[in-house]
Amino acid sequence: MQDDAPANDARPKNVGSRVQRLEDPRLLTGAGGFVDDIQLAHTLHVAFVRSDHAHASILSIDADAASALPGVIGIYAAEDFPVKPLHATSRMKDYQSTAITPLAQGKVRYVGEAVAAVVAETRYLAEDAAGLVDVSYAPLPDLVDPRAAAASDVLLHDGHTSNVLVSRKFTRGDVAAAFAKAPIRVKDTFRFHRKTPLAIENRSYLADFDKGKQALTLYSSTQVPGVIRDALAEVLEMPGHSVRVVAPDVGGGFGGKASLYPEELTVSLLSRLLGQPVKWTSDRLEDLLTTSQAFDETVDAELAVDSNGRMLGLKAEILGDVGAYSIYPWTAALEPMQVAGFLPGPYQLENYQAQVVAVATNKTPAGPYRGVGRPAAAFVLERLIDMAAARAGLDPVEMRRRNLVQPDQFPYRTGSGIVWDQSGFTECLAMASDGIDYSALRQERDAARQAGRWFGIGVASYAELTGIGSRMSAAPGMPINTGTETATVEIDASGAVRASFGVASHGQGLETTLAQIVADELGVAVDGVKVIHGDSAAVTHSTGTYASRSTVLAGGAAHLSGQAVRAKVKEAAAFLPETDAADLDIADGIISERGTNKTLSLKEVARAVYSEMGRFPLDMRAELDLRATKFYDPEFGTTTSATHIAAVEIDPETFIVTIKRFLAAEDCGRLINPMIVDGQVHGGIAQGIGAALYEEVVHDQNGQALSASLVDYVAPSAAETPKLEVLHLDTAALGTLGGYRGMGEGGAIGAPAAIANAIADALSHLNINISELPATPERLFRLVNAAIEGET
Amino acid sequence: MIAKRPLSLTVNGRDYQRDVEPRRLLTDLLREDLGLTGTHVGCEHGVCGACTVLLDGASARACLCLAVQADGREITTVEGMGDIGALSLLQEKFKKHHALQCGFCTPGMLATAHEILADGAPLADADIREALSGNLCRCTGYEHIVRAVSEALAESISGRVQPNAG
Amino acid sequence: MKPPAFDYAAPETIAEAVQLLAAHPGEAKLIAGGQSLMPMLNFRLLDPALLVDISRARGLDDIKTNANGVMVGAGVRHHALMRSNDVAQRLPIIAHTMQYVAHMAIRNRGTIGGSLAHGDPAAELPLLAVLLDADLHITGPAGDRTARAADFFLAPLTTDLGEDEILTAVAFANQPTDGGWGFEEIARRSGDFALAGAGAVLTIQHGVIADVRLAMMGVDETPRRLPGVEAMLLGRAWDANARATVTRQVRELINPMSDLQASADYRRHLAGVVAGRALDTAWNRAQPQ
Repeated sequence: MQDDAPANDARPKNVGSRVQRLEDPRLLTGAGGFVDDIQLAHTLHVAFVRSDHAHASILSIDADAASALPGVIGIYAAEDFPVKPLHATSRMKDYQSTAITPLAQGKVRYVGEAVAAVVAETRYLAEDAAGLVDVSYAPLPDLVDPRAAAASDVLLHDGHTSNVLVSRKFTRGDVAAAFAKAPIRVKDTFRFHRKTPLAIENRSYLADFDKGKQALTLYSSTQVPGVIRDALAEVLEMPGHSVRVVAPDVGGGFGGKASLYPEELTVSLLSRLLGQPVKWTSDRLEDLLTTSQAFDETVDAELAVDSNGRMLGLKAEILGDVGAYSIYPWTAALEPMQVAGFLPGPYQLENYQAQVVAVATNKTPAGPYRGVGRPAAAFVLERLIDMAAARAGLDPVEMRRRNLVQPDQFPYRTGSGIVWDQSGFTECLAMASDGIDYSALRQERDAARQAGRWFGIGVASYAELTGIGSRMSAAPGMPINTGTETATVEIDASGAVRASFGVASHGQGLETTLAQIVADELGVAVDGVKVIHGDSAAVTHSTGTYASRSTVLAGGAAHLSGQAVRAKVKEAAAFLPETDAADLDIADGIISERGTNKTLSLKEVARAVYSEMGRFPLDMRAELDLRATKFYDPEFGTTTSATHIAAVEIDPETFIVTIKRFLAAEDCGRLINPMIVDGQVHGGIAQGIGAALYEEVVHDQNGQALSASLVDYVAPSAAETPKLEVLHLDTAALGTLGGYRGMGEGGAIGAPAAIANAIADALSHLNINISELPATPERLFRLVNAAIEGET
Repeated sequence: MIAKRPLSLTVNGRDYQRDVEPRRLLTDLLREDLGLTGTHVGCEHGVCGACTVLLDGASARACLCLAVQADGREITTVEGMGDIGALSLLQEKFKKHHALQCGFCTPGMLATAHEILADGAPLADADIREALSGNLCRCTGYEHIVRAVSEALAESISGRVQPNAG
Repeated sequence: MKPPAFDYAAPETIAEAVQLLAAHPGEAKLIAGGQSLMPMLNFRLLDPALLVDISRARGLDDIKTNANGVMVGAGVRHHALMRSNDVAQRLPIIAHTMQYVAHMAIRNRGTIGGSLAHGDPAAELPLLAVLLDADLHITGPAGDRTARAADFFLAPLTTDLGEDEILTAVAFANQPTDGGWGFEEIARRSGDFALAGAGAVLTIQHGVIADVRLAMMGVDETPRRLPGVEAMLLGRAWDANARATVTRQVRELINPMSDLQASADYRRHLAGVVAGRALDTAWNRAQPQ
């Protein structure tokens, strides 16, 4: 393990500081550049004709009336683009992939699936024409319920053996024996309802094909420009150097922009076909129908506990509704497998068995969404723990304290086989309960209860793997390597510093945090480092930003490249005039010789290197530059952990839940920028609050999406979000360069579980279990009524 | 074909004349016809608040306003609230408190916050949350936005009081 | 989500607007603030040939007071009504209740007339009009007429307003200065349409209710008063018994609908809750005579 601290002549002054973001001035003044802000001359606009059936054969498409409208360029269907379909492949046994095509071929499989593309001079005209395209369908049975779909003879995809795309079973330890001897067994069926990531910027794509160069540039609001570039090169059968995918300013992603979308293929093909720029920007209705959704699981789970509250064994059956397609590149295995993988949580739990079934249904394809599987996993396990704690007569904090993996037990292999490296499991629990003054909060709760109020406290602990290296796939069985990241740091002839990455920032502030690292390594000002990201042409290989990987991987690569360039600067400076490179310091862009008052600016060194190479020995000149590209591979990744505590009050008459307190104590390793870390945690928690109390994608029995507006898909506003308190352990992770851990998702993992536990605690006098989220007032009304009727 | 209509309006202090279709939304006029892409489009049904601008000084959803309805009016968009080198009080506070992440909701959030400051009434955090509730943000969890607006409001009020006191 | 093509006229007088509506039977829509109409146009739920924009028509945006009450022009924005001192003094329930209407930016644009003419059963202004027995001033090709709020709302998003008629003002009578008032609403989020809401006004004499009105929103096809409940309350003190009776009777009398946010059962339950709470507040606010 190498010392992660930069050389002693450049102690970190930016890393660890609340550096104000370099992105902000442009974003605050309307000078940002999102895809839909880009206006290229002669751009054509697309509106899609979308299926209003969940499942149907396409009989015919009549576009005559639409084509006749002035300003309409053309109307295109699947047969106009006879390209090879893409498949999200997997090494998983018995996995069934699905063909992903630019437009629906022969069949539609969810409401909103694109059937035809209308190209016109303006979006207004394109929508007018789309409304005139007459598609005739022969309805097929709508497979909406995943259990029924799994058993159905009607198949969504020809050639499949069933609608089950993934099926896995795994066992560790002796589960049967653990359950046989357990005095306490608790179980329930848990339901986590479907969500949509709901970035405020809708997806937007602008394809610009250059006929002369036979080259395509796709401006895409994507999290994964590298993945999209590779996919486009394959589908369009073009060399990678002639396909460039640029993700400029991107207005939030949360996983919803981390997959390949058919519209990206379509606008690219259209631009190549028409030789003009082609743009499509999703409207909100399209977003709610077609952006990948998530978290749609039913989990039957049972936990065995001994009389001291020690967890003995866990069993789970996970049924995932993954929608109509196995999303590229993550596959349908992503979400339900991750539920199974993380279900044992941060606890000592040797005996575990799980069965996972991922079923295709006639709904919007499921994909990654902040937390991927872990929000549902934490919800299930943390509820079971509270149920068991009640039976064992233990306080929820004490129950967790006894079962968490202890500091001397790392590395710890969980029941699912995941290995936790050293992380502050018990420390976070202690920090959270101290931070919120748990005993005082309990007294407050007890006093409130005395007064007839429904007040509850909920605790949830979790752990996640972040910054995953090359030894694992970001999605189970996925063949794409996501475990390394590259950084090119270069000082140009003007002395300016540029750092290029394969990641893509869409709110995380990577232009600032990565600049902080490079600035410290090079000894330059942080605002002097220009971070290039979100451009497949910036580095030789890239994927993008997802899975809490960018800080760990790109941060590590930034350290390595920065150190390498620093060494080159010193090496060059040692000749100007001749001195020993080891005696040189660099700070604030000035190179100085220790023990002397000789100084040289970075600018002078750069000018000498590029314009006055005669000053260097001949044998140096072949490799004379101030540039380095380094890859970083953390191999395994690292464990981020946290404990969340929520206090809620429920109005006993209206069943409206109000969050009175919310505190998160987390270990994300060393903090690069505490302000940005806080912001990431806040955002995750707010989405967790949405998942716990408000948000739900609802389909009717015909697969029609009922939550197809922002009136109907209820995301929390500032008024529904409480003050959020965040505490950090701030100790360096041992296994990663720089000591960082990923932390972009965690807030969303712990919050639903903590809130569910708090609601259950508030309703404990009625013996109500909270096994379904979101816990809407409607659901609580029904639960309370059923409980009262049960009593009488 | 419906004839375009002449339209003149003032945006960020500058006068513009354009001919537009009656159905053209104010968002599209600002973004596409005037090149003021700082005003963002998030839902086009009046819920998310990303397109909020100041119409004759009062916050308004640009997606729920026809361009022709803005004829003769005065509009302030985010571009008119401050400049990269000269951020407004609110913009400074947003930067200081990390009240934006992806920045997409930010222009609308600033327009609403602008009206809160213009109104000038002191507000508790809960009231600020209520006043901001027509602008959805998916990144920040609102915590830092509330902090930024609260501090800007306090300074704006004290700045206003001081000259009178002196 | 771009609106379909339509023509547009922005008459400067109501008379011109009426003529335009009459000249385009069935194919013209009025627009003022546009806060209800524009989302429907953007979703292409409507396809009018002509939009008649009355936001520039003279004489619609005044709040006038006289000895009997307040006359609010149809073009008055929600925000202006909420902030009007005259209204706050004479009809504090209006100033209070307007805070529940959507959000600041919507209140800045949305008009009183637009909200009433839209006739959403879960909206605050229709409730206020029914509760306070407002008179709606309407003009059309046949001349002017006045409709009682109680007769104006016919069904969800359906009113007594003819296709060629324009709502020009709403008149609210003064409320007794010693009366009490209460308004309660439950919504999923701040500013959302109510799952259930109730408004109540009452006066107390000799320790009992001398006069009372109770109106509900979001729990029936239209906002509506509950005369049976009002009659039951006359001559009674507001106590636990009366409260329990109101809660029960309200739940029996209304006819709520189910939607994504709330079932009819839950709305029925909430209706009893908000009615009780609105009356609690009204009773506590009233000055006993």
